[in-house]
Amino acid sequence: MAATLYTAWAVGGLTGVCRVNGHQQGPLHCHLKVLVAGLQTYEIPPDYSDVVLPAKPKLKFVNKVPNLKKPKREPKKLRDIQGPTRGADSFTQGQYGIVALGGGYLHWGHIEMMRLTINRKMDARTMFARWCISGPYKPITRKGLGQRMGGGKGAIDHYVTPVRYGRLIVEVGGKVELEEVKHILTEVAKKLPFPAQVVSRESLAALKKKHADMEQNNQNPWTFKQIVQGNMLGIRRVVSPFDVHHCGRFSGKFHFPGRV
Amino acid sequence: MQHWFYSTMTLQQDSIKTTVHVCSLTARLPAQTQSPAVSSGGRRSSECIIRAVVTSGITFFLSMMAATLCGKLLPKQGWLPVTQSVRHGSKAVTRHRKPIHILKQKLLAVTKYVPPTPVVPKGAYPSERQEVKEESGFVLLLKRELKKLFQDYKMVAVAQNCNSNAEDMRILKHRLHRHGIAVKFFPNQVMCSFLSDSVYSNMAPLFIGPTVLFVSKEPKVKEMLTSLRSSPQMTLLGACIDNTLLSAQGVVSYSKLPSVSVVQGELVSGLAMMTAHTASMLQRHPAHLSALLQQYVKQQSSEEAPKAEEAT
Repeated sequence: MAATLYTAWAVGGLTGVCRVNGHQQGPLHCHLKVLVAGLQTYEIPPDYSDVVLPAKPKLKFVNKVPNLKKPKREPKKLRDIQGPTRGADSFTQGQYGIVALGGGYLHWGHIEMMRLTINRKMDARTMFARWCISGPYKPITRKGLGQRMGGGKGAIDHYVTPVRYGRLIVEVGGKVELEEVKHILTEVAKKLPFPAQVVSRESLAALKKKHADMEQNNQNPWTFKQIVQGNMLGIRRVVSPFDVHHCGRFSGKFHFPGRV
Repeated sequence: MQHWFYSTMTLQQDSIKTTVHVCSLTARLPAQTQSPAVSSGGRRSSECIIRAVVTSGITFFLSMMAATLCGKLLPKQGWLPVTQSVRHGSKAVTRHRKPIHILKQKLLAVTKYVPPTPVVPKGAYPSERQEVKEESGFVLLLKRELKKLFQDYKMVAVAQNCNSNAEDMRILKHRLHRHGIAVKFFPNQVMCSFLSDSVYSNMAPLFIGPTVLFVSKEPKVKEMLTSLRSSPQMTLLGACIDNTLLSAQGVVSYSKLPSVSVVQGELVSGLAMMTAHTASMLQRHPAHLSALLQQYVKQQSSEEAPKAEEAT
């Protein structure tokens, strides 16, 4: 019993209170067994001293309707969904964000969902969020219920924001790591009308690099670009000019990640 | 004057394009103005039906088509294209995935991405580069302790302890402390990494399993062995005494060696044996010495005589 008590004491208080045979005492010198507790290496937590939080960290309210004196009806122009983004595909202030992996229209309902979810779940003291898209500006018309074809274009029903593949929707930054923010952003990303993914600066760069590497180390001697630009086999008959420009990676609003 | 006649028009719901079958184009010659009643009636009725069916967009298109074709010089009279496509189906951007033309499907299949195959599959050979892990501060501290240990202590013995509880340990430590031997514990990983860099790299195979270090400034091997004999859990594996690596048997034979002072004494006595013997002999009675000398001379003469006999 004395031995067990002694063992319990020894394991518990390894700094050694009583003198044991006049030996050296201290945290390094254990008289019973090898101390392995201190051998665990821990990662140094990141340094956030240079991160500045803005005065208003939460997402701003976005108007349902742009304030125009005379709203004009616009043609559908679905090509604002087609293909990759022409800009707004890189981070500016934040560290983590949601990137669109397809095309689609975001209407006020989606934007409100994002704003409410993110504002509710984020910690305003340590993180901030920023919109990367503008409010809805494209008018979408609808005819009344049960109307026959003809009789002119319908009246403006609501407004939407067109989003293309590769565009950032919302940015989050601050004194946080990805894991703290990921669950909030995935919740939002699942509810968007197009496929979306949570990215950080490094992961977005990695995505782009992956595509570049695929183009580099493609072992297939035949490429879409080569065949179509040379109009081999008269394939231009079935390939649209859009496909010629984008090398078969897009079809409508969809993006094919396996295509090179 | 020529008229277009459209006898049937089919709208296929599945296909994207609508095919307009043009059955006949008749060139109405002035002689044939008075055509038979049946045919004219048929023509008029068909025109009425078609006018009712055709929508504004299609009529517009057909009229445009008619205009272009009529404007162009037809290759030969009575020639009509069999089918003409009218696109009014889905646009370029759809919610569904559009069906792809078979030729484009083939093109996409031919131009698929082919990843590079590694010559050697992953995991077949160990990586050439050894991953250098940065050591924590505690490990560095332990290594410094070890360095000091090997410098200060002449005897470093390694033993394996199996199932020694605290009481046994305490008793053993007490016994060893009386002879000035300390008991040290170090993690094997730290020990091996330290030894691999130092001169004592051949000691590394000893450090497997739960090991204990017995260190002392003076190599008190005999006392250590007696203490270890009393504790059955401890098994001596080897030792490094005076920068010499010894196995367990080597340690035992080392313990049987006489001490340095004894050996030095023996050496000195061996060297000084002759002179000491002479000195002791001189100190005895001179009669004894003279007797000895006479005996020696007799021996010498007896030796010379047989030698002279042999020579002659």
